[in-house]
Amino acid sequence: MFPAVATLLVASACSSNSSALSGQNDAPVAARDGGSIVIGAEQEPDCADWLGTCAGSIWGSYTMQVGTIPAAFDTRKVDGKWVPQASDLLTGDPAVQTVDGKQTITYRINPKAVWSDGTPISSADFAYTALQVRDGKDIFEKSGYSDIANVATPDPKTAVVTMQTPYASWRDLFSGDYGVLPAHILDGKDRDALMKDGYTWSGGPWIIQNWQRGTSVTLVPNDKYWGPKPHLDKVTFQFITDTAAAFQALKSGQVDALYPSPQLDALSQIKAGVANTKSQVDPVTGNLEAIWLNNTKFPFDSQTVRQALAYSIDRDAIVKRLFGTIGVDKAAQSFFTPIVGGFGESAFGKYTLDLGKVTALMTGDGWAKDSAGFWAKGGKRASFAVETLAGNKRRDLTLQILQSQFTQAGFEMTIHDTTSATLFGTTAPNGDFQAGLYTLIDTFPEPLNLASTFASAAIPSQANGYSGTNFGRVNIPGLDAVLDQIDADVDPAPRIAASKQADQMLADAVPAIPLDDVPNVLLWSARLGGPISINPSEGPFWNLSEWGLAQ
Amino acid sequence: MLTYAVRRVLLSVPIVLIASFVLFVATRATFDPLGKLRQSRDPSVLHRETIRLGLDKSVPEQYFLWLKGFVTGDWGVSTRTGGDVRKMILQALWPTLQLIFWGIVFAVIIAGFIAIYSAVKQYSLADHTLTALSYVGIALPAFWFGLVLIQLLAVLPRQQFGLTDPLLYFVGLHSPGQSGFNLDYLRHLVLPVLTLTITLVAMWSRFGRASMLDALGSEYVRTARAKGVPRRRILLRHAARNSLAPFVTVVALDAALLFGGLVVTEQIYSIPGMGRLFLDSLLTGDVFVLLPWLLVVAAAVVVCNLIADIGYAILDPRVRLR
Amino acid sequence: MSTGTASAGQISGTRAMLRRFRHHRLALAGTVVLVLLVVACFGATWIAPAKQGVQDLALGPTAPSWAHLLGTDELGRDYLSELLYAGRMSLAIGFFVAVVATVVGTAVGAVAGYVGGVVGEVIMRLTDLFLIVPAIAILALALNGLGSSPVTIVLVLSGISWTYIARVVRSQVLSLREKEFIDAAKVTGTSTARILVRHMLPNLAGIITVNISLAAASAIIVESTLSFLGFGVQPPRTSWGNMLSQASGLVGTPQVYLLYFPGLFILVTVLCVNFIGDGLRDALDPQGRQL
Repeated sequence: MFPAVATLLVASACSSNSSALSGQNDAPVAARDGGSIVIGAEQEPDCADWLGTCAGSIWGSYTMQVGTIPAAFDTRKVDGKWVPQASDLLTGDPAVQTVDGKQTITYRINPKAVWSDGTPISSADFAYTALQVRDGKDIFEKSGYSDIANVATPDPKTAVVTMQTPYASWRDLFSGDYGVLPAHILDGKDRDALMKDGYTWSGGPWIIQNWQRGTSVTLVPNDKYWGPKPHLDKVTFQFITDTAAAFQALKSGQVDALYPSPQLDALSQIKAGVANTKSQVDPVTGNLEAIWLNNTKFPFDSQTVRQALAYSIDRDAIVKRLFGTIGVDKAAQSFFTPIVGGFGESAFGKYTLDLGKVTALMTGDGWAKDSAGFWAKGGKRASFAVETLAGNKRRDLTLQILQSQFTQAGFEMTIHDTTSATLFGTTAPNGDFQAGLYTLIDTFPEPLNLASTFASAAIPSQANGYSGTNFGRVNIPGLDAVLDQIDADVDPAPRIAASKQADQMLADAVPAIPLDDVPNVLLWSARLGGPISINPSEGPFWNLSEWGLAQ
Repeated sequence: MLTYAVRRVLLSVPIVLIASFVLFVATRATFDPLGKLRQSRDPSVLHRETIRLGLDKSVPEQYFLWLKGFVTGDWGVSTRTGGDVRKMILQALWPTLQLIFWGIVFAVIIAGFIAIYSAVKQYSLADHTLTALSYVGIALPAFWFGLVLIQLLAVLPRQQFGLTDPLLYFVGLHSPGQSGFNLDYLRHLVLPVLTLTITLVAMWSRFGRASMLDALGSEYVRTARAKGVPRRRILLRHAARNSLAPFVTVVALDAALLFGGLVVTEQIYSIPGMGRLFLDSLLTGDVFVLLPWLLVVAAAVVVCNLIADIGYAILDPRVRLR
Repeated sequence: MSTGTASAGQISGTRAMLRRFRHHRLALAGTVVLVLLVVACFGATWIAPAKQGVQDLALGPTAPSWAHLLGTDELGRDYLSELLYAGRMSLAIGFFVAVVATVVGTAVGAVAGYVGGVVGEVIMRLTDLFLIVPAIAILALALNGLGSSPVTIVLVLSGISWTYIARVVRSQVLSLREKEFIDAAKVTGTSTARILVRHMLPNLAGIITVNISLAAASAIIVESTLSFLGFGVQPPRTSWGNMLSQASGLVGTPQVYLLYFPGLFILVTVLCVNFIGDGLRDALDPQGRQL
């Protein structure tokens, strides 16, 4: 059906599919209507109540949320950068005003926008969602929403949100993690109970047909969707948690697409070539792997030691070994991940392997090498344990390289395995660690993670019920004010300037060391057609409705 | 006999209770039931949940609260999925039961044949070969077999013969949209069951061979031989029948441990059974699933032990005399 | 389960026993190969082509060649050398688990069997605890809680396998207890400890030796499964099991040899240990009956 394809291309023109890094990707193959496909998913989401504390699985968003929950802003690539763009849920960019220190955002809803039961999407839905997040119990994440003063609904298609204080990342509201939920179905009911095992309503191109726990999620087209309809009759996500088995499933034709975490094994599979398969490797991601340091624990309570540590490793060589096979060979140089790249600089670029600088810094701080060749001061050796999540081969290898390089620089490093439940539930909040290797994920092209990671108010404490996520106890003089400005300054230019200043301050104080931006990898069978590409914010299946079987 | 069996089941109740208490204390000491909530930025959540789950009470009190709930059918709510734990465990039992059933059927048949053959042809080349193979079956871990079998029996043939579909599937027990007992199910079943069968056959064939040899060396077989009873009749009526009792016992006991022991097989073949449930719960610190899981598995073991006892009594004529 | 019914007078048969063991060709071959492996692994510092853990990031993974007989891994480490160093961990785990489990199991089993009564019953019900929950679950739970250091792995694995030995020893002691020479010792006023050590133990030597080999072999295999699930020996420490599981994702890639070699080492070791166990059993129990 040619007309369908044509309208699709028009509708998605803003998404500029000419991805800069298409790997072995050929030009998109036209998709035909009908047919069904199976996609391998390496993680099963815990629940589908996207607002609740059980949410937070990125795969929940990929498999169900993106296709069923309408969002005010989409993340699209414009001029090579990922930016939030008003979606076709709205009639255009919302009007934003700041009067007397209060910010108002006026959303005008597309009159064609309807839920799958035919009820128009209305301002009541905006009000419901905002207040659920702001006032609800067991909410996954409230930042931004907690500052909402009120939501006015002058007419069914206009919602006016008033913020108590200006919120610079306001585009994240009704987008990013949450979107907009149907008030007429959920209001006054137990939202969590109605949504957690999947729901049958939708405001997106897809409807969740069923979610068989442990096995699969099946999506079918939403007939009432006001935008372009999906080509495929059915998409099934099968949960295959074993990476090796997942690749074999792709090779054997049991699944048609995979979005594997870039383990070395996966990369060698790609390099070896998977027959009849196309792939895209995208280094522009929101995944930052870093060595997180506890700034209050010996030896990292000393800024000099942290700086010396940064000079003692060849991060480019590590990244080259990890991702060189797919053409990624540069270390991450900022805590602003590539998808929020417009905000940061490469401030950490100054830290390259330089053992001379290490010696100068350490001796200057009163350290001397002991008989075993490790730095020591006052009888205490510069020795530390790195917390890591067991069972991730890429991290295991990364740590082994780090260990070898740190040893040569005079730091004694040991590896301590733990589980994510223990690390993020107990060890990190209580500060019972010296260093850790884990990934920070940006899911929206706004610098949302910075304050929660580095502001002193986010240090887990009795006062905040150990719920902050500044696990490293970072408290850099002057940084809090800059972070506040990033959060609050609605004016883009000074906000970006503040971000760059924060980047520099972080690089000077080295509260942690960024290692690599974990590239995204998407593989799909040659029998698929359509514009298939990775969206680092919404995931690889953001435009699933444009996928189809090849013509 | 029946009273003996009942007595054993009753005896196992306090053992299971002790086990559950030890595990309760151990899991509470290891895991923080509120771990996930601690990442939430709403401090009131923690306080509310602490009260709701009774985490402010002493450990024995918590244990009795939990036990009371468990006995009355309230198994709690998973911290991971927010789902009803009892439902989760019952759902996970079904695929595991299927694997165990098919695994046992094939393993018993194959191991039985090997055992009889090896015992009869003791020290022959075939016996040595089968023994060596059984060692290989025991010596390599299940995940190794699983991955190699997938490559050899599913991926390679498809690439060699240019098929659109592999002959054997290895993701789950059904293709999307399929269910019930059909060809699709069988094509999914072969590889996981084969993986499971290799280990079982390796263990059971060796045991079966030993008990066949025991029976063949016993006095009544020698007497039967002396009386001129035909060889085949001796083998099947006398020797095989008498070695059946210990064999069945071992099968039942090993089968019991499969209820929670298929972690690797279920992981590789993406089967949402008890093993996967355990691993997922352990890795995410889902304490409220782990304990009931352990109790269900323990109950399965007790039931299988009972079956083993009864089987022994039925199959071994000597037991009835007692 | 009945095993060799060695009676008191058989200790003098050591030479005959050794002769029977030597005639068990597989056992002999197993011994030779195992000794070679042990020497190669524990002498790796001198024998291995490369030092442990020496990385060559620029080289990366390469196929077997004359420079690297078994190739190199992802970090460019010589795989043969790594396997030999890793063997120290696997062999040590097997050895220590076997020793700890056997010592504990024998002691508990002997006491339970000899003392009998309520004490014996309670002890045996305690071992039932371990039969009720699958070993892999207990192991994963314990290692998840305690952390996977080599010491905890040995302790936890021994904690599982002693119960089996305890059962076997107990049943053996139960039957020995009724034997005349034990009665004789009792009458002459020999202490219980002395009876157990001087009179019982020599008669248990057979099953104990056989069990040592079984426990060692199974410890090596179970460790590899634990590694696959993420609870085994953790990097940067290496064992055959963890090298095997680290390579498990390489099926279908050019580096699949990284999956086969550690498997081969495990297989050969376990085969040798089992053959030796078989040989010992036959040597100690000439009637050829098996467990």
